[in-house]
Amino acid sequence: MRKKVLTKVIASGLAATMMVTTMTGCTFGFASDPDDPNEVVEEEPIDTSVDTFEYDTALSGTNITLLNSKAEIQVALEAMGEIYEEKSGVHVEVMPVTDGDSPYTKVVSLYNSGNPPTLSILDTTDVIALAEEKAADLTDEPWTAEAEDYLTRVNDRVYSFPLCIEGRGLIYNKAVIDEALGEEFDPKSIQTLDDFKALLDRLVAAGIEKPISLAKEDWSLGAHHLQYVYETYDGTSEGAAETIEKIKDGSLDLDNYNRMTEFMDAFDVLKEYNVAKGDPLGADYDEMAIDLADGKTAFWFNGNWAWPNLQEAGAENDDEYGFLPYFMNNDKDDFANQQIQGSPSKQVMLDGQIASEQEQKAAKQFLNWIVYSEIGQQMIVKKANIIPPFKNNPYEPADPLSRDIYNRVQEGEAFNASAIVPNDHWSVLGAAMQKYLAGRSDREELVQSIKDYWAEQE
Amino acid sequence: MKTKSNGKDFCMFALPGMFCFFAVLVVPFVYGVYLTLTDWNGVAKVKNFIGLKNFAGVMKDTQFWTSLLLTFKYVIVVVLLVNIIAFAVAYLLTRGIKGQNFFRAGFFTPNLIGGIVLGYIWQFVFSRVFVNIGEATGWKLFEVSWLSDPGKAFAALVLVSVWQLSGYMILIYVAGFMGLNEDVMEAASIDGATGWIKMTKIVLPLMMSSITICLFLTLSRAFMVYDVNLSLTGGAPYGTTEMAAMHVYEKAFTSRQFGVGQAEALILFIVVAIISGTQVYFTKKQEVEA
Repeated sequence: MRKKVLTKVIASGLAATMMVTTMTGCTFGFASDPDDPNEVVEEEPIDTSVDTFEYDTALSGTNITLLNSKAEIQVALEAMGEIYEEKSGVHVEVMPVTDGDSPYTKVVSLYNSGNPPTLSILDTTDVIALAEEKAADLTDEPWTAEAEDYLTRVNDRVYSFPLCIEGRGLIYNKAVIDEALGEEFDPKSIQTLDDFKALLDRLVAAGIEKPISLAKEDWSLGAHHLQYVYETYDGTSEGAAETIEKIKDGSLDLDNYNRMTEFMDAFDVLKEYNVAKGDPLGADYDEMAIDLADGKTAFWFNGNWAWPNLQEAGAENDDEYGFLPYFMNNDKDDFANQQIQGSPSKQVMLDGQIASEQEQKAAKQFLNWIVYSEIGQQMIVKKANIIPPFKNNPYEPADPLSRDIYNRVQEGEAFNASAIVPNDHWSVLGAAMQKYLAGRSDREELVQSIKDYWAEQE
Repeated sequence: MKTKSNGKDFCMFALPGMFCFFAVLVVPFVYGVYLTLTDWNGVAKVKNFIGLKNFAGVMKDTQFWTSLLLTFKYVIVVVLLVNIIAFAVAYLLTRGIKGQNFFRAGFFTPNLIGGIVLGYIWQFVFSRVFVNIGEATGWKLFEVSWLSDPGKAFAALVLVSVWQLSGYMILIYVAGFMGLNEDVMEAASIDGATGWIKMTKIVLPLMMSSITICLFLTLSRAFMVYDVNLSLTGGAPYGTTEMAAMHVYEKAFTSRQFGVGQAEALILFIVVAIISGTQVYFTKKQEVEA
């Protein structure tokens, strides 16, 4: 009898465990989750009263799909799709790429199943890989004139719509620095690597033991740090491409390339003042946002996409955060010490292979709607919270990081260079950088692994 | 008459199953083998036949061989630990100790949690909980995250896999122990067999069928490990814990060398097939009937 009761208890216990595990499967919250449904977000109102955009009535009733690989704007895109449908009659289905899935893999599998999305948001390298095979030519679209400097060209043709500008650098928390120094901190006063080191020493003296947060993630180290070596050649994408070509054909020797040495000098400073210096590879990404917001650290090397993390850690839109450049040397006139990097990062590609002419037209109209309609302009900035590369958009982003980049782009204090590297660059060389960060390899070994990597590329 | 109905029976019962088997297993497999001989990149419309070039690429890919070697190391440790622990625990849990049903359920629970979730939970444990314990107590072992040191990260992987897999194997061993014929045990005792002798001469041979299954399951599962590898270490620190299956995925989808990745997957398949095939052959030979 007793045994029976026990079995019953165990059986129900097991059933309960199973239920809990299945349920956690869908409610488990990861840091990069799209908008948490429980979170109350203050919405900026969208003014829909004025709309001078001309809709093509013949397109009403068309269905198009949009593959979204930028999880944080999923909700905003759905809202935009809804309003666009209301106005134009074109239904936009927004499909998210789930966390952990690569957008490229997803889009390729959709192509192979014969059911590709009409529009897909991809990284620049993906667009270049797919452009001539799959994409529709967008060279003659009117919006190309509004974003002249931010277009990606493949054999002189434009195959993608630049969705946003993203920038990276050393994020500072001004309030923390003000308090530690006991005076107003002027970011412009820091102009060289030595200035920066002096500032760090003052912060250490003021009690912030290790003022910098340094992410150990390979995408951060391999792409965002290391790519300065290519991008600071002359601050243009063409210059970066040229540098890479020269490294590949051996005409540029990385051992004696000044940007390589300068980069490692700069990285060594970050390494030295890293809050996780004792265990740099044990650093936790979410904790870095909390540390910066709470004032345990004063700097975090990252980009404006880190704002949602900071916000979650308690930062507010009217707090003063901003970027310092990635100081490479002690030359005040070097653009790398004056400007931060800001370039288009996500591209929208239109399928030119399977989509019907009607669908292509509707999709093109949607892109134009984002650029030219009063509603689209507002929503892309206020709702999706991104920095559009289109000159004609009068709205300014609300969060301090995007605002800083926006202002710098307007004032010419940002350089637009993004190196186009093979897709495994961040992962292979990210590992090499991790090894260097952990102090398990020296400069020579790091440079050698970069040389080896490029030697293997065709 | 007889053959006629046989054909009909075959169509009714075997054909649906055969169809599924061919559609989702045989055809993709053969197609996969064909892809290793082409330069297809996953997107292009044309597939050019390039012979064995992809296999030459595999030979050049040192990282693949390193990860395969690491996988061997991992498989040996995991298979041994899982089976020894599971066998011992199952033995204890069939001797009528108090609350043994509760313990059986308890040990099995980790197996109900999916590998990805499990990996994330343990990642938190290794890099936050342990580090905090280390800070509070000053124990050197927990001072830095296990996941940032190549050796300890490997140990962490083994630990989590053993913890997850043991429960399942315990279940199979428990079933095996319960199926042991009491008469044989009693006869052995009367003949004077006790302790170690009884275990090696009577119990082990009778348990061989369970051991065959458990060895096969742990071998193949350990060779194909991906989910725990991905979510617990992700290959970190600096790619030192990247197992073969994960490397294959990275090669195909991150480096976008589909052909080479597919060829590596084929090699991995052949290795696993040979090893588990040999294992089943030899352990089957050891099986006896009571």
